[in-house]
Amino acid sequence: MVTTKNKVEQGLVEAFQDVADRLVGGAEEREAAIARFEATGFPHRRIEEWKYTDLRNMVKEAHTPFMPGGSKTLDEGVLQKALGPLSAIDATRIVFVDGQHQSSFDQLDESAVSVATLANQLASHSDGDQSLLADREATFRGSSVVDLNTALVTDGTEITIGPGSKPAKPILVVHVAQSANPAMTTIRHKISCGAGAEASLVEVFVRAPGAADAGLINTVSEVDVGNGAQFAHIKCVSNVAKTSQLANWHVTIGADANYRAFHFTAGCGLARSDGLIQFRGERSKLDFSGAFLGRDTDHIDTTLVIEHLVPHCESRELFKGVLDDRARGIFQGKVLVTQDAQKTDGKQMAQALMLSPDSEFDSKPELEIYADDVLCGHGSTSAELDEDLLFYLRSRGIPKDQARSLLIESFVGEALACVEVDSVREALTKLARTWLMEV
Amino acid sequence: MPAVQETIDQVKEIDVDQYKYGFETNIESVKAPKGLNEDIVKFISDKKGEPEWMLQWRLDAYKRWRAMTEPTWAKVSYPKIDFEDLYYYSAPKNTEGPKTLDEVDPELLATYEKLGIPLKEQEVLAGVQGSKVAVDAVFDSVSVVTTFKEELAKAGVIFCSISEALREHPDLVKKYLGSVVPQSDNYYAALNSAVFSDGSFVYVPEGVRCPMELSTYFRINEKQTGQFERTLIIADKGAYVSYLEGCTAPMRDENQLHAAVVELVALDDAEIKYSTVQNWYPGDATGKGGIYNFVTKRGDCRGVNSKISWTQVETGSAITWKYPSCILRGDNSRGEFYSIAVSNGYQQVDSGTKMIHLGKNTSSRIISKGIAAGKSQNTYRGLVSAHRKATNSRNFTCCDSLLIGNQCGAHTVPYIEAKNSTAHFEHEATTSKISEDMLFYCRQRGLSEEEAVALVVNGFVRDVLQQLPMEFLAETQRLIGISLEGSVG
Repeated sequence: MVTTKNKVEQGLVEAFQDVADRLVGGAEEREAAIARFEATGFPHRRIEEWKYTDLRNMVKEAHTPFMPGGSKTLDEGVLQKALGPLSAIDATRIVFVDGQHQSSFDQLDESAVSVATLANQLASHSDGDQSLLADREATFRGSSVVDLNTALVTDGTEITIGPGSKPAKPILVVHVAQSANPAMTTIRHKISCGAGAEASLVEVFVRAPGAADAGLINTVSEVDVGNGAQFAHIKCVSNVAKTSQLANWHVTIGADANYRAFHFTAGCGLARSDGLIQFRGERSKLDFSGAFLGRDTDHIDTTLVIEHLVPHCESRELFKGVLDDRARGIFQGKVLVTQDAQKTDGKQMAQALMLSPDSEFDSKPELEIYADDVLCGHGSTSAELDEDLLFYLRSRGIPKDQARSLLIESFVGEALACVEVDSVREALTKLARTWLMEV
Repeated sequence: MPAVQETIDQVKEIDVDQYKYGFETNIESVKAPKGLNEDIVKFISDKKGEPEWMLQWRLDAYKRWRAMTEPTWAKVSYPKIDFEDLYYYSAPKNTEGPKTLDEVDPELLATYEKLGIPLKEQEVLAGVQGSKVAVDAVFDSVSVVTTFKEELAKAGVIFCSISEALREHPDLVKKYLGSVVPQSDNYYAALNSAVFSDGSFVYVPEGVRCPMELSTYFRINEKQTGQFERTLIIADKGAYVSYLEGCTAPMRDENQLHAAVVELVALDDAEIKYSTVQNWYPGDATGKGGIYNFVTKRGDCRGVNSKISWTQVETGSAITWKYPSCILRGDNSRGEFYSIAVSNGYQQVDSGTKMIHLGKNTSSRIISKGIAAGKSQNTYRGLVSAHRKATNSRNFTCCDSLLIGNQCGAHTVPYIEAKNSTAHFEHEATTSKISEDMLFYCRQRGLSEEEAVALVVNGFVRDVLQQLPMEFLAETQRLIGISLEGSVG
């Protein structure tokens, strides 16, 4: 099929060619990936999964890729300011500024966790060994956004939590946008939580004061949760102005494991998160929840595919969104239960609170089931704030504005309660509260 | 929990090899040459003695169809249809425009008798003493007879074949035809618009409550023939009509195409109730043969306080591709969709509905039950959308499905689009939720778990079936027992 490509797509291909000789490692993989991207371009609304997020039209500019080089001038104070309430989390910290690892900010005090930067790993692998960028589940089943990531990835982490180890502190992977010029950042994380290990990891995306209010961040996270492991994985995108955030997660879950994922998005011009989560071992549990807060023309899209490939697994999804002004929230959740995955228990729920008549919520909770002894359910609701509840609170003497924020906070709070790491939940609650104060 | 034995037996009873209507009628027919081109469209239009504007309308549709490509988004797979290898028109000889029953070929009457459809007006349906149903019998491409016409005419109701309506009431047809499903709406609607041969036309005038149930019985008989019928129902201000549709076809090794278009228009305060028992030949136990049922059905609640309700029981067809929809244009209008789809053998069902809320205070309700057995695939696909001006719109959707055996699949693909903050949309698979409390209650009263489930779910399915007119209950009785325990959302 011939696709008419627009200038942005063409620009990105050209940008790749400009920097190709400076990209380290996996040259063959990168070439192949950009060729695939060139052939298909960005996903557009005629592709079913992108019906509500027409990336081809929404990415307006081909930003120059950030290339590594030199050290960034960012002081700890600015970093703290960018992190806001998140800085209160006592964590093992790894910091990326404009997509480049800054070891000076790292706080690595956990022996149970081994951290290497992807840039180093790519550099140390000989050209013959391309396993770092090789086809992880056929590059997330042919996503051109992942292809773009493969072609342009400059850095990231390889985090290994040893079998049986239980690091006390959460791992915080911080991405700060600092440059005043909008650009494109491409990051890939490879995370492995060993058998029987218990850990939590937070991917944070923030913007330093004065940084450009546009740009594109393309991240890929490849996660393997070992047998019997308990792993909490949180993504927090907060106040990044009008930048575009494209995130792709591919997660495999072993047997008897427990994977708890959470997506928090507040204030982001365009956020599209794709998740492909696969149960590979029996008796495992997945809890994938999230809260999204949008105002102005924010566009927040979460698209998850959960694949029950083995029997006796349980998945839970709860997404709650608050939409103001002309913001648009999207939740697409697909649960696939294969023929062998008997005794699957899957539930998903997406709810949106619409504060403005111009806001929009689209939801597509999809089930594809081939096993006959399963329990799967899904739900989706959308509505404005309940006048009766508001009236009740006001009749108890609570002023209107306060009553409103109370109700909104409790609505979002239900999702936030899914975050089990106390310090992280508290920080996210504060971020949500700050956002809500502006309503 | 897996399906209980009782359910399995009941589904088996309506399995593909139990098809009762698979006989063939030997009757001479007049056919158009095979294939599709402008001449065929002209041939059909000419056969029907249509006015010039109608021919132009058809040719326009034909041109649009040529420019379109077959849709592939549905979760069904089948070999490509060769549209040039079909007969687009087939009519029993000497049946063009019989005035009375006596003129109808006795062979045809025997066929309908065998199908249990009484065409003689003095006959009544078994078990429904005293109730009258007017029938429009469509055999391949033509309507052979319409009963009770005089009695309906007294009430001012027009009930006739669409070909007759084009001759007798051209203005009405011209005004409404294609106003709900335009020629270029989709691939099969465009094809239908070009070559539709017959179907029913109903017009219920202002303030009239149609004195009896109206029904159409579709029968495909001829080999290698596509059936393209077009139904147009208009309920004028304050009118009410209940319409039933049934369909069967002989058992054949080949796949036959049925691409119908149904348009409903409800003006202010009008109500239309449309019920279907779809029992086209589903193919044999190995998946050979069967009807491809690619149908566009849409109702337009054009006036304020209007109501359109779709009820369907789907057991037939090799492939079903059907989304009876409601456009809730008028303020306070209401749309309903009740469906039970049972698939067996190698059947593929991709069905559901669209509720498009455009007016203020519009409400809709969707209840869909899918049961997949054998090697079949059963998909619910539905859209609920509220446009910016649809203030205070409400929707409740509940779609459940049940799998029997591990060779089949049940899928749910709902689209929910709220563009108005005052819209309240609820989409839920409530079976498991309902049953938790109810089951507990029933078990407390001494029922076994299976009995309790059967009781709760039967009560719920009965709710859907109660939407069906009495006349259809006999046919769907065997479905009532099917319980949906162990449902998946």
